[in-house]
Amino acid sequence: MRASLARVIAIARKEFIHISRDWRMIVAVLVLPLIQLVLFAYAISFDVRNVPSVTLDLDRTAASREYLNAYAKARFFDVQGPVAGYTAISDAFDRGQARVAIVVQRGFGDAMAAGRTGSVAVIIDGSEPNSAQLGQTYAVALNQALDRGAVASWAAARGLAGSAAGALEPRIQNWYNPSRSSADFLIPGLMVVIIMIVTVQQTSVTLVKERENGTLEQLLTSRLTHSELIAGKILPWAFLGIVDTLTITGVAMLVFGVPLRGDVSVLAVGTALFIICALSLGLVISAVAPTLESANMSALLISFLPGFMLSGMAFPLASIPWPLQIASYLFPARYMVEISRGVFLRGASWGVLGPQVLQLTVYAIVALGIATALNRRRRA
Amino acid sequence: MNLRRLRLLMWKEFLQLRRDPLLLPLVFIMPIMMMIMFGYVVGSDVRNLPTAVVDHDNTRLSHQLTDAFSSSGYFVITQRPSSEAALQPLIDSGQAKVAIVIERGTAVSLARGETVPLGIIVDGADSKVASVASGYAAEIVAAFDQRLLAAAGRATGGPTIDARVRVAFNPSLKSVNAMVPGLVGAILMLSIMVIMSQAVVRERARGTLEQMMVTPITRGEYLLGKVVPYVVIALVQMTFIVLLGRFLFDVPFNGSVWTVALGLLLFTFTAIGMGLLISLVSHTQQQAQQTVMFVMIPTMVLSGFIFPIESMPAAIVPLTYIIPLRYALVVLRGAFLKGSSILDLWVPLLAMLAFAVAIFGLAVSRFHKQLSE
Repeated sequence: MRASLARVIAIARKEFIHISRDWRMIVAVLVLPLIQLVLFAYAISFDVRNVPSVTLDLDRTAASREYLNAYAKARFFDVQGPVAGYTAISDAFDRGQARVAIVVQRGFGDAMAAGRTGSVAVIIDGSEPNSAQLGQTYAVALNQALDRGAVASWAAARGLAGSAAGALEPRIQNWYNPSRSSADFLIPGLMVVIIMIVTVQQTSVTLVKERENGTLEQLLTSRLTHSELIAGKILPWAFLGIVDTLTITGVAMLVFGVPLRGDVSVLAVGTALFIICALSLGLVISAVAPTLESANMSALLISFLPGFMLSGMAFPLASIPWPLQIASYLFPARYMVEISRGVFLRGASWGVLGPQVLQLTVYAIVALGIATALNRRRRA
Repeated sequence: MNLRRLRLLMWKEFLQLRRDPLLLPLVFIMPIMMMIMFGYVVGSDVRNLPTAVVDHDNTRLSHQLTDAFSSSGYFVITQRPSSEAALQPLIDSGQAKVAIVIERGTAVSLARGETVPLGIIVDGADSKVASVASGYAAEIVAAFDQRLLAAAGRATGGPTIDARVRVAFNPSLKSVNAMVPGLVGAILMLSIMVIMSQAVVRERARGTLEQMMVTPITRGEYLLGKVVPYVVIALVQMTFIVLLGRFLFDVPFNGSVWTVALGLLLFTFTAIGMGLLISLVSHTQQQAQQTVMFVMIPTMVLSGFIFPIESMPAAIVPLTYIIPLRYALVVLRGAFLKGSSILDLWVPLLAMLAFAVAIFGLAVSRFHKQLSE
C-alpha cells in the first residue's frame, strides 16, 4: 500500500515537472480562466435593451410627437432619430444601423382628437430573433398602455366617466437577483464551465502524448498499475482545478460582489467530485484518440459544446427539445451548475442539494471506472 | 511555382489527415453538433414556464386572469399554494420559476375603476427566464386590461391606436435562420484555425519542416500546399452546413451568392492568417490548442454570434470592433436574411478586407522570416 502510494506520488511529481517546464501552460491554466471569467461576466447579458430604433413621423402633430416620445422613454428602444421615408428605413435595416422602425401614419393626430382610430406601424428586424421576440412583446405592451392612456385622457377631457374601467398594473419582483445583474447569475455557472474547459483539455492529451513519445511503454515496464497511473495523472490536475476554483470564487466575490449565501461545504464537496468527473472525461478521450490532433479536437468539442451549451449555465434546460435534455444528463456540468448556483445565489444547504451531490458521486465513480478500463484495454 | 510539387504536397497533407481514423469523422461531426446545439439550445424559446399562482381574490375575474396566463403558452400553472409563505420553497427548489399573486379585492377595486397592482415574481437566478417572463407577463396584463376596457364598453367611443407590429426578414422568428449564416462563419474560422495551426506546429516539433526546406520546394509552394487542403475541407464543411440548414431547417436564402462568396473569401484569408500566426507563436501542439481557445472564446462571445452586441455594456462594445467574425456575421446575416447587396454592406466588407490584408500579410511575412532564421 505504501509502495503504491509512493508510485502514485512519483507519477504526480513527474506530471508537475512537465507542467512547470512549460510556462505557457501555466498561463493557460491559471490566467486564461480569469480572462474568460471577466469577459463572460461583462459581455453576456440576456437583458436586451437599447435596441437601435428609428422613427418615421408622417403626421407631424403634437399627438404623433407625444406617441413617439413614449418609445424614447422606454428602456428597450434606443431611438436614434427620425428618418425621411420608407426607403431610409429599409436602408437602415440593410446596413444594420437600426433594428426597429416606428411609423406614425398621416392623420394620426386628427383621428385621435376626433376619437377615431389612429394608425401606427412598428417594424422589427427579425434577423436577430432573441431581441426581435422581446421587441415584439414590448411594442405590443407599450401600445396597449398608450391606447388606454389615450382613452382615459380623452374621456377625462370631456368629463366622461364611462371608460373608467380599472386596470391591473404588473409589479414585477425579481427574486435572488433584484438588480438583474447578469454577473450574479452567470458567474456561479461560469465557474463550472471554465473548470470543465481547462481540465478536459489538459487531461485529454496527457496519455496521448506519452504514447506518441513512446514513454508510455517505459512506464508500462515499471511496476506501476493502471489505477496508479491514472491516479498519478489526475492528482496534479485536480490540484490545479481546485486552485482555479478558489481563484474564481475569490474574484467573483471580491470584484463582482457575487454573494455566497449557502453552505460552503456543499460547494467544496461538489467541486471536488466535479473535477474528478471532468478529469475522467478527459482520460476517456485520451484512451480513445489515436493522435494529439483528434484528442485536442474531441476535447474542444466536448468541453465547449455540451459543457457550455447543455450545462444550463446560459440557456435554460427546461425549454430545449427532449433528446437534448436527455443528452445533458450525460455531462457532469449540469449537476454542478445546479449545486453552484444553489449555494451561491439561493443559499441552499445539504438538504436541498443532496440529490445533485449524490448524482455527481455516482457519475465520478462510473466515469473513473470507464477511463481506467479503456486505458487498460488500450494497453493490453 | 511547380504544379507537380504543389500537388504532391497537398497529397501528403491529405494522407496525413487520413492516417488518424478519428480526425476526419470529427471534422464532420463538429458542424452537425454545432448546428444542433446552436439551432435548438440557443434558439429555444422560453415556453411552458412552471408558474405558481396565489389567488387571494378567488373571483371570476381572477380566474379569467389566471386563464389568460395559462392559455398564452408561456406559463404553465403547476402550483396553487394558498399563501405567499409557500412560494419561497417552491422557487428555491426550482419547482416554480414564476409566481403570480392576486390580492384580495382585486375584482371589486377594478370594477370601481381603480388601478390595482398585480404581483409577479420571477426567478432572477436564471436571467434569461427573468427577462423573457417579465416581458410576456407585461404583454398578457396589457392585453387583459384592454379586454377590461372593452368590457366596460368603451362607451364614450374614445380614440384607439391601431398598432401593427410586424417582423421583417424573419417573420417566424426562428433562431435557426439567424444561426446558420453565423455558423458558416464560425465553423470556417474554428476548423481552419484548429487543424491548420496543429499541422504546421507538428511539422516543426518533429523536425520535418527542416527536411522539407532542404528539398527544392519553395516557401510559397509549401505555404500553398499547406493552405489549400484545409481550405478545401473548410469549403466542404460550409457547403454541408448550408445544405443542412437549407433543407433540414428550411433556412431561407434571400441574398446574392456573390455577396456571400466575397465575404467568405475575405474571411477565409483572415482565418488562414490567424491559424498560421498561432502555429508560429506556439512551440507544441498543446500550446497551439490553448492559443486557439484563447482566440475562439472572445470571438464567440463578443462577435454577436450568441449574445446581441447591443445588450453588452458600453465599455465592452469597442472591443467587439477588433473581432473579425463580427463583420463576417453582419455580411452573412445581411445576405442570407435581408438580401442586402455588396453596396449596402460596403462598410463591414471594407473592414473584412482590412483584416484579411493585415492578418494574412503579417502571417506570411512572419512565416518567411522564421523559416530564414
